[in-house]
Amino acid sequence: MPRRGLRGGLLKFIREDDLEQIRFAVLEVLSEVGVLMEYRPALELLADHGAQVDWDQSIVRIPDWLLAKALLSAPSRFTLYGKTPEWDVKVDLDRVYTIGGSCALSVLDLDGAHRPAMRKDLVDLTRLLEAMPNLDIMHQIVVPSDVPELGYELINFATCYSISKRNYYSQAQSADSVRDQVRMAAVFQGSEEAVRRRPTFTEVVCMVSPLKHEKQNSEVLMESARWGIPLYIEVDALCGATTPAPIAGTLVESGANVLAGVVLAQLVNPGVPCIYSIASGIMDMSNGAYSGAAPETTLIHAATAQVAHRFGLPYQGGTGIDAKLPDAQAGYERALQVLTNILAGTNFVHLSYGMMEQMLLASYEQVVIDEEIIGAAYRIARGFEVNDYTLSVDLLARIGPLGGHFLRERETRESYRKDRWLPTITDRNTWDTWQAAGGKDMRQAANERARAILAREEPWAVSPEQAEEIERIAQEGVVKAQARRQQLQ
Amino acid sequence: MQVGTTGGEGAVLRALTESVIAGEVEQASSLARQALEIGLEPMRAIDEGLIPGIVEVGRRFEAHEFFLPELIMAAEAMKKGMAVLEEAIIARGGRREALATVVIGTVKGDIHDIGKSIVAAMLTAHGFQVVDLGVDVPAERFLSEVEKRNARVLGMSALLPTTMPYMQHVIEELGKRGLREKVKVVVGGAPVTPAYAQRIGADGYGDDAISGVRVVRELLGLA
Repeated sequence: MPRRGLRGGLLKFIREDDLEQIRFAVLEVLSEVGVLMEYRPALELLADHGAQVDWDQSIVRIPDWLLAKALLSAPSRFTLYGKTPEWDVKVDLDRVYTIGGSCALSVLDLDGAHRPAMRKDLVDLTRLLEAMPNLDIMHQIVVPSDVPELGYELINFATCYSISKRNYYSQAQSADSVRDQVRMAAVFQGSEEAVRRRPTFTEVVCMVSPLKHEKQNSEVLMESARWGIPLYIEVDALCGATTPAPIAGTLVESGANVLAGVVLAQLVNPGVPCIYSIASGIMDMSNGAYSGAAPETTLIHAATAQVAHRFGLPYQGGTGIDAKLPDAQAGYERALQVLTNILAGTNFVHLSYGMMEQMLLASYEQVVIDEEIIGAAYRIARGFEVNDYTLSVDLLARIGPLGGHFLRERETRESYRKDRWLPTITDRNTWDTWQAAGGKDMRQAANERARAILAREEPWAVSPEQAEEIERIAQEGVVKAQARRQQLQ
Repeated sequence: MQVGTTGGEGAVLRALTESVIAGEVEQASSLARQALEIGLEPMRAIDEGLIPGIVEVGRRFEAHEFFLPELIMAAEAMKKGMAVLEEAIIARGGRREALATVVIGTVKGDIHDIGKSIVAAMLTAHGFQVVDLGVDVPAERFLSEVEKRNARVLGMSALLPTTMPYMQHVIEELGKRGLREKVKVVVGGAPVTPAYAQRIGADGYGDDAISGVRVVRELLGLA
């Protein structure tokens, strides 16, 4: 049985007529302002299919009809494949899933030390994430400092892909890297053809705001599309700095920027899944910092769900939090962000585990705490059923007003387990009972849980022989990437 | 559930245990009857059938695998099975000695029933003779029942901070009547703490139904 997420979308921030105005504004920017694309083959392909290209400035303007064609071939519904069928994720415009990651440079380890991330941390944090029941998609949560910068994504791929049964959210620095990743997946899947048919990984391509696709973005996007690898086409806007300060203006920029990528992907391979993605934040005007957890950031992420769905595309939103420790700030930031995104129908709530300090820091403890917060948020989003059974009139009549209770009734036992979310590290005892159990706060409870999970040696998703072969391809790819860099210099 | 006679005594005893764990009230009493039909000693059916079930339920409750509804259903099943078997013991001219008599109630001014009733059910399930006086119980009633029943334990519950002090009043009245040394006093309820229990001169404090049973057993030297 594949994973089928619960349905979000109860919460709307944009009125219907305002949403139409946003759509028109996106079309106008795309067709009249245009998007800068550095990669010549991308411009050529777009020009061949009717886009207007300013060759001097490398700006492409996409007419409404060309976008409409692309949106017709881009699917609203598809499957992201896991290594086993129970990890397949059924994507549509309603269902909600979570993604881990991404790319922190430091860790807050289980001894409380703040230090550079090492490859051992990538292994351990991925093992920890793999044990989180509400995580759907695996992503690299750190970029280890003991891994070469050029080709790091290959080493991370080898590590995360080998450990996790979940679909792997990857990224690439070149078309060669995409091909190496296909080869690595083929070690597990049996052949490159099998990867093409049921890709067990995806690629994210992060565009620059305002309205710019760097050479590497388009190269990776086009190569992934050729292989049929689903794409998260992402904009990382800094609202107020790289995009307009009004939230509506940021939605317009992101729309035009993302959709230019969608058109390009659909021209390369009609039907390749494209996920409308953002990891945007506001700029904190007091220090210039990116804030992933400001209420305005959450508003941008929630509202973008409506815009993405208006274009018929599944949507990835969500980002890290700003706190430095698993403290009260971390708890409130994560809870508001995750709950709002789930209710808004963000199909992939990204960066939802352990990411802190403007995406610079990954915390082991926060991974476990975030699982708890996501569980509670999902419970709220799941709502409740109203029918004859749940209205319980017959049951109320049976017990009556004469001072009885419902605890010993069969209906109670049948319902409450289905109905109640069971917390794992949340404490609901009184002071004395809590003290008697050690008086641990949530961070301590999370620490113990993380240690217990890491102490278990769960087998990796691929065999030791496959892991070795995948690692060999990754190392080979790193050497190739270095050689290519030297050639260019 | 009907266990084939070919399964023998062991199978019936195991099924009795399972019926308590599953909180299957009807099953527990029909299995108790079946136990008698195949010639099992009723005392043995209680000790080796029902009791291991309620002990397991207590374990699961403390491990957060079971919650209050399962606990209460199990206590009900235990009670139903026990009723059948005790009747058989009496019919054969015997009697089953209760571990001790416990008088229990929610104190005057307080009408909160559920927590106290759960404790009463668990004490019954664990072999105590429980006299449940209900809610809004005045001191005089507690005292006369303790005296009349020769109770070894008095359990009092209060859910309101305003009714909590009444527990101390009852304890003082026990002293005046010369009953304080004859009875162990156990208190409980959401606002009650171990420190408060100690301050008002109670002998024990139970945090939940399972720990309530444990405290009573310890106070009587049964642990």
